[in-house]
Amino acid sequence: MVTIENVTYEIKGKLLVKDVSAHFEKGKINLILGPNGAGKSTLIKLISGELKPTQGNVLIEKLNLQQISLKELAKFRAVLSQSLELSFPLNVHEVVLMGRYPHFEGKAKAIDLEICEKSMELFDVKEMKNRNYLTLSGGEKQRVQFARVFAQIWQLSEGKSRLLLLDEPLTFLDLFYQYNLMKKIRAFINSNPDLTVIGVVHDINIAAKFSDSIMLLKDSKIFDFGYPNNVLTEKNIFEVFKVAIKNCFEIE
Amino acid sequence: MKSNSIGIAFLFLLVLLSLISAKYGAVEISHQEIWNAFTHSLQGTEINNLNERIFIQIRLPRVIMGAFVGAALAVGGVLMQALFRNPIVEPGLVGTSSGAAFGAALYFVLGATLKLNLGEWTLPLAACIGGIVSTTFVFYLSQSKKSNKSSVVSLLLTGIAINALFLSGVGFLSYIARDPQARSITFWNLGTLSGSYWEALYFVIGVTVVCLLLSLRYAKQLNALMLGEQEAQLLGVSIRQLKIKVLLINVIMVSVATAFVGVIGFVGLIVPHLLRMLHGSDNRFLIWAGAMLGALVLTASDLAARLLLSPAELPIGIVTSIIGVPIFIVLLRRTNYFF
Amino acid sequence: MKNNIIIFLLAIQLTSCGRFGNQDEKKNNEERIVCISKQYSEIIFALGAQENIVAVDLSSTYPTEIKQLPTIGYHRALSTETILSMKPTLILHDNNIGPEHVVNQLEELEIPMKTFGDYLPTIDGTDSLIREMGSYFRKEKEAALLCKKLKTDMEKALAETKKYSKTPKVLIIHFGRASNVYLVMTQKSTAAKMLEWAGGVMAVNDKRGMKQLSPEVVAAANPDIILLTDFGYDRLSNGNEIEKLPGISSTKAFRNNHIFRIEEHDLVYLGPRTGENVLLIQKLIHPQ
Repeated sequence: MVTIENVTYEIKGKLLVKDVSAHFEKGKINLILGPNGAGKSTLIKLISGELKPTQGNVLIEKLNLQQISLKELAKFRAVLSQSLELSFPLNVHEVVLMGRYPHFEGKAKAIDLEICEKSMELFDVKEMKNRNYLTLSGGEKQRVQFARVFAQIWQLSEGKSRLLLLDEPLTFLDLFYQYNLMKKIRAFINSNPDLTVIGVVHDINIAAKFSDSIMLLKDSKIFDFGYPNNVLTEKNIFEVFKVAIKNCFEIE
Repeated sequence: MKSNSIGIAFLFLLVLLSLISAKYGAVEISHQEIWNAFTHSLQGTEINNLNERIFIQIRLPRVIMGAFVGAALAVGGVLMQALFRNPIVEPGLVGTSSGAAFGAALYFVLGATLKLNLGEWTLPLAACIGGIVSTTFVFYLSQSKKSNKSSVVSLLLTGIAINALFLSGVGFLSYIARDPQARSITFWNLGTLSGSYWEALYFVIGVTVVCLLLSLRYAKQLNALMLGEQEAQLLGVSIRQLKIKVLLINVIMVSVATAFVGVIGFVGLIVPHLLRMLHGSDNRFLIWAGAMLGALVLTASDLAARLLLSPAELPIGIVTSIIGVPIFIVLLRRTNYFF
Repeated sequence: MKNNIIIFLLAIQLTSCGRFGNQDEKKNNEERIVCISKQYSEIIFALGAQENIVAVDLSSTYPTEIKQLPTIGYHRALSTETILSMKPTLILHDNNIGPEHVVNQLEELEIPMKTFGDYLPTIDGTDSLIREMGSYFRKEKEAALLCKKLKTDMEKALAETKKYSKTPKVLIIHFGRASNVYLVMTQKSTAAKMLEWAGGVMAVNDKRGMKQLSPEVVAAANPDIILLTDFGYDRLSNGNEIEKLPGISSTKAFRNNHIFRIEEHDLVYLGPRTGENVLLIQKLIHPQ
């Protein structure tokens, strides 16, 4: 689904991503781990199209990302982040409907409204659909934003495989909702096999439990990439994070 | 309230208010005279009765001008607030009004010397060019060289600086102006609808309607922008293009309106706020409802400007400020309004 | 700055609304004249030709009874409908009216407008204007009398002037209502001419008739006498605020307490009373 070829990103003389190549498969949850400043977030932004690589290419289904317009891209690629911003008061369902903006011109179609309903249901925000977003608590806002992002890629659009990127969405969630979100992503990918998930998380336990493949980044380069069991070894973790651990990645 | 019923209510009030506004003024015009004025102009016969001519040549264009200028200013306010994601922005803030005022002042002071004369169109043209130049200036200067993005903060700060520059330019021009010219500048800076005439009106209507329809096309993208530039881009919005297009629409619409009637403040600020309280911030609603409420507010202000001290007339800028400021303060103090 | 202007203009409008509220008591006149020139207004009243004057501009303040007439507002901020509500059959103006679009609208509606001859601001010029207006209103006799009075008053004033050995330097401060600032009149102004006839000299020179008041201007002028026109004087005289105007407190005029009030309409244009006014100014600028 997503292939990155020799991607390098440099800004103001600083190399944030150094010659990274990898292939992410469809139907898999691919998580990226690494210490602060390793270039995880930059890599996600390069894949989402927010940043352009200084060198190398990002290919989506063999098509160069640069050749896909923002508008096209928005139809099959969504990014879960920790942003809660909304500069003016809007009702919850209006915020969620924004996720469908790439899919309709003018007025929302019935299918768009239906998708919003389902997505709100998934994230337990349906009963607050007519409330002012700005009056919600931080956790509630976060769920509304998740519902919006899921609405964006709820169903196949024009036969293009979908891509969900996670730009550290778990940061401000408590433990329950961190697992809750990851479970929902897992369930969603199970029923939508064309989906590819690539994401950055901080918690090694979550990465171990929910990922199909893990990329370890260190000093802007790939340190290791593969199955979680092969990558998350005591030795690797010590070398990348400078933390000695005993193997304990088991949570039910 | 449903947005449809709001629309019907606004339309009803606007028609009612326009009728009242056309009927009442310093000169008393009877219903019979108004009727005759209409039938005579529709038949194309020459009108001899003075009151009928006052109605057709002065009163009517003024009332309609007020409605369209109000619509243009209010939609300008909606667009700018949405674009800058800031509720205290109005079209004046990116330099449009001060540039237009500078262009007008330049015409008052140097027009005769430079032998620039396109008749009645010279002043509007000068103001329009001023508005476009200053706004382009603001937009160009606020682009940072290193990154491709133009940040809102730098745009606003540049706007403040350029505003100060152009306003001191207006100050300088009124300082070097001979007395009558200086008075014209002052007069124009307070705004007045009294100079409306049909040719100007056709032009303002044309520009306002086109800009209004165009801005409706960008309403969804402006909504997405509420989530922040990054999130909007992820929803397929090209931020840079959106900014240029919306600014362009705003500049043309506001400078054309300002060019013919002078600087009228507060409509662009107050109207979007009122609507947000009424029915939320969806720009698809704010744009068309803003046009209607803006028209309503300016028609009411003009009526007040003409009737409060009748037969004398207040500058309309004073009336909009007097009405606008208390409303604004009440709005800000309401607790269920979030920013 | 803009807000100040707004508040101030509003204040003018409100303080003068007494005059806006004046009743039109000449509803049945066939001929209805609106006069938008303070100079014309005074001459018309002096001629006794005020019968058909139904309204005047805000600056027409002499004679006192003129304030009983309805006013159509400030001569540079006119409104077409306000003028037309007086149902004028003629508008008299001296070409110093605005805004431009109002003049255009009046022309388009074919409202008759008249301006008398543009004479030099001299005694001869004033004489000619009074005679032209006299013949227009069929008051030739009255006009001749006014001209004669003007001439004798002027002769008397000029003779008086010769008696004074000193030529005091005079600073005239006027509150510009349109721009909301204190201005000083210069040697280019009409007032300078009257001052000269009265045996004084205007303390400030400039290319234009008015200049903004500033400490430098006052210091450079160092006047013996300061005159303030009525509105500005009244505005400041409560609470001795005149000395707080920039630079005033260091002048000879202030130290000798030679600061006086003068009516604007006695000073800013020439008319039948100019001789009288010169005598009045003479007394003010040659105290003791």
